[in-house]
Amino acid sequence: MSWTLDEWFVVALARTIGDGEVVFHGFASPCAQVAMHVAKRTHAPGSLLVEGATYAVDPVPVFVPPTSNDLALHRDATYRMRFEEFFDAACRGAIDRMFLSGGQIDGYGNTNVTAIGGLPHPKIKLGGGGGGCNISATIGALTVWTTRHRSGRTLVRHVDFLTDIGHRTPEGDRAELGYPGRGPEWLVTELGLFDFVDGHARLRVLFPDVTLADVDAATGFELRVELVDGLLPPPTAAELEAVRAVDPLGVRRSEFGPDELRRTFP
Amino acid sequence: MTGFHLGTDKRATLDEAAALVPSGATVALGGGLCARLPMALVRALVRADRNELHVVGSAHSIDVDLLIAAGAVGVCEESYVGFEQDLGLAPAYRRAAETGAVAVRESCCVTVLTQLRAAEMGLSFLPVRGVKGTDMEALHPEYRRVRCPFTGDELVAVPPLAPDVALLHAPIGDAAGNLHLDQPYVLDERFAHASRMVVTTVDRLVPTSEVVAAGVTIPGHTVAAVVEAPFGAHPASCYPGYAYDRPHLAGYIAAAAAGGSQLASYLDRYVHAGEDAYRAEIDVARLTSWSTCDTAWQELFR
Repeated sequence: MSWTLDEWFVVALARTIGDGEVVFHGFASPCAQVAMHVAKRTHAPGSLLVEGATYAVDPVPVFVPPTSNDLALHRDATYRMRFEEFFDAACRGAIDRMFLSGGQIDGYGNTNVTAIGGLPHPKIKLGGGGGGCNISATIGALTVWTTRHRSGRTLVRHVDFLTDIGHRTPEGDRAELGYPGRGPEWLVTELGLFDFVDGHARLRVLFPDVTLADVDAATGFELRVELVDGLLPPPTAAELEAVRAVDPLGVRRSEFGPDELRRTFP
Repeated sequence: MTGFHLGTDKRATLDEAAALVPSGATVALGGGLCARLPMALVRALVRADRNELHVVGSAHSIDVDLLIAAGAVGVCEESYVGFEQDLGLAPAYRRAAETGAVAVRESCCVTVLTQLRAAEMGLSFLPVRGVKGTDMEALHPEYRRVRCPFTGDELVAVPPLAPDVALLHAPIGDAAGNLHLDQPYVLDERFAHASRMVVTTVDRLVPTSEVVAAGVTIPGHTVAAVVEAPFGAHPASCYPGYAYDRPHLAGYIAAAAAGGSQLASYLDRYVHAGEDAYRAEIDVARLTSWSTCDTAWQELFR
């Protein structure tokens, strides 16, 4: 049995979901979207999924299309939340986990999805943050991810624009800001997996074809390292089968550069 | 909205509908991402040469980008404009933000929702818990920190948002403007009640009994004008009628990214030529094939 990096990456995201959690992904998040369904079909059958921009509850997608407000994602769902119903639940703390990414991510897990170079004079205007600015403050826990760690431009010391809140901003930490959510719990990249301790990212495990020097060269924030074994076991047959069944179009692959897509294991 | 719109026959042409949206108006665009966007109305506004529009809403794509490409927008207060990982950043939006041609006042879905609710309730503000500590606050000098009189919590007060007009598209509606939508409604309901008026297109104008049987999502008393415009959301999807037109969107993005004569030819061919000519270009058989089988549906996205 062999598998590709994009498959393993999605499985790593899926494993951050606990059985029994209420989980949400936003739009423009194919890896997270596939990961939620993989978790539901493998280790987290008791989780409740709120499907991205359709707000459908526990749908069984016909396939994952490349646009996240599409009927293929929620056909036959028994219930679809209204937009406001979902965001109210997220604001009052009823959603346990959300997936967040960004053009820039700092060591506290703050993300910039608004503009490289900031506003009002952006160097690159990114799409924007959807609802993340508010609900990153109140959702139980966040799984942050990027597939562009190796570029050296993504994990930065300071975000040019702080769109979604991590553990600490220049104004203070979550307790000081009055935010009930626990903030980023995991940061998954195409190079490895970080957790957060004392509100800062800490590298725990590398993909087997990655060295510490690779991560060091690509990371702009202070690299704290405490590697452990066993945190990133290979995908199981059931997990791989779920990835391939949920995402026959391979929409997850659109998040990766061509070199990363060539990575195969073992 | 300040008052209801009475009347049983609000049928209008696209030109008459566009006349209800002056330059400088605050405009809410219905639908979300690439679904149920009011594209026929967007094209009509471009033909009517509108400018300095202030667009507000949640996550959008070609509706906002095309308006910007045509020079119709002065301020953009959407929470997202783009084509996700499939087709990437929105070219005209990106260029206008980078050159300063459009003032970017990016917002958050929750903040927009809260502001619409304040307008619906006739309130002068409502608070949100988030935003504090992010850079979104500095972008919006109209927000104010307030202290909750009960808990002492510091929250961010946001003002009401009452758009001058909400542009919506629905699969079916009647002459009075009663509309049936399929979920997700996104912000269409909130837009309808918070805005001064709804101007809408429908794929099919039907008798009231048919809309009532399907379920009225947007009541006619919020609607000032209704236009029958088949494929009025195209190239966005409007199920159960038609799916997302990926080749058309890719063609638009290439033209908008190139700008200049390529963008001008897109606008000539798909906007200035008028809606009848536009419809003649749509591959109806392909976009309606989604319902024949799951394989055909999936093929639309390759």
